[in-house]
Amino acid sequence: MVDIIILLTLLALGYGFGRYAEGRHYRSIIQREEKLQYLVAVSTKIIPPGEQYSQSSLVCGNVVISVDFFKRFLAGLRNIVGGRVMSYESLVDRARREAILRMKQEAEALGAKLVFNVKLETSSISKGGGNSIGSVEVFAYGTALIPHS
Amino acid sequence: MEYSNPKIPEGINTSSEHPLKEFFLLSAGVLSLVAVVILILSLLADKLAHHIPYSAEKNISSLKFEQEIKGQPVNQYLSSLTHHIERAIELPDDMKIKLHYVDADTVNAFAFLGGHVVMFRGLMEKLPNENALAMVLAHEIAHIKHRHPIRSLGRGVVIAAALSLVSSSVGSDVMANIMGKTGYVTALKYSRDHETEADDTAIQAMHRLYGHLNGAEDLFHVLEANTKGKPSFEFFSTHPLSEKRIQRIQKAQTNTSPDNITPLPTGYAQWVAKKPESQADKK
Repeated sequence: MVDIIILLTLLALGYGFGRYAEGRHYRSIIQREEKLQYLVAVSTKIIPPGEQYSQSSLVCGNVVISVDFFKRFLAGLRNIVGGRVMSYESLVDRARREAILRMKQEAEALGAKLVFNVKLETSSISKGGGNSIGSVEVFAYGTALIPHS
Repeated sequence: MEYSNPKIPEGINTSSEHPLKEFFLLSAGVLSLVAVVILILSLLADKLAHHIPYSAEKNISSLKFEQEIKGQPVNQYLSSLTHHIERAIELPDDMKIKLHYVDADTVNAFAFLGGHVVMFRGLMEKLPNENALAMVLAHEIAHIKHRHPIRSLGRGVVIAAALSLVSSSVGSDVMANIMGKTGYVTALKYSRDHETEADDTAIQAMHRLYGHLNGAEDLFHVLEANTKGKPSFEFFSTHPLSEKRIQRIQKAQTNTSPDNITPLPTGYAQWVAKKPESQADKK
């Protein structure tokens, strides 16, 4: 009986804190995305012709977001019956957007107007670590183009 | 060429479904699946345990009883009574009842794996006549005849094993519940169906042995008096309620003249009386 009580407590904690953190994170993401809307990040390798840039620089952004207990439990139940792992979708979405934002913030600090050749790398931390709660890492990197000042 | 990052609407890469809804749906589905699996396993275990040879059951049973005091009048009396009941109940030849008389206050008797039947002094001293005593013995021997000990154990072990996949502590709680504790040794608990089946067989045997059922119901009066004060809900109890068992006996009764009750042998009261030295031993 004790382990069921512990499980339910962990689930409630995971749900409460996870929901709160996710809501706060999304609000911050949306706000910063709006602010950095002017700074374009594209995956193309071709520099748009016509404009002159004096400098280019590697910019990158990296984020690690942990799964909460509730999300992991839901994903575990999904493992049995199959289907979309909806609890992980928002997690990965947040990680991608946050990584790009951090990359853009770095580009902004350099005074760049465009980041091209943007790539995303993901890895999961503590993969195969048995019962440990995993985290998702997203690494965004690209080449920032800094115009003549 | 002009590049731009359009504002992407929210909710494209995530689902809007509330996570709690998904949680409850999935949990309910998985739990009912577990329940169905456990139900099927327990039914199968109950049916299949019959096929475990009795000789194998004898090896499972590792009950260690205290040295029996052979030659005591109470042992001689009990074993001759057991012998009669074994024949009346048509116990198969390869099954042999090993009767144990335990000098303890517990008002109980039980059957265990390997044909062991344990009678406690606490119950025996309360029984008013031989018919009631024979009813106890017949009931426990009927458990053995129907292979209830191995069926209960098999079912319990299967359920506990399946449950411990979900939760290890619940699994071990269930296991502890199956192997319920009596005063002396761990005994098996039987389901209500098993108890009713054993009662029916015992009633038949009593008919064969005495030609009537008078006195047999006194056993349940004794058991009922012993549980007085404790709440008795049939739903929570493994044994059918004593009243219902008395009703079953009265239904099966054909001859109701009360003067054909067999009395207990003379000296029985002294055999099962509390011995002062055994009281001192226990301390």
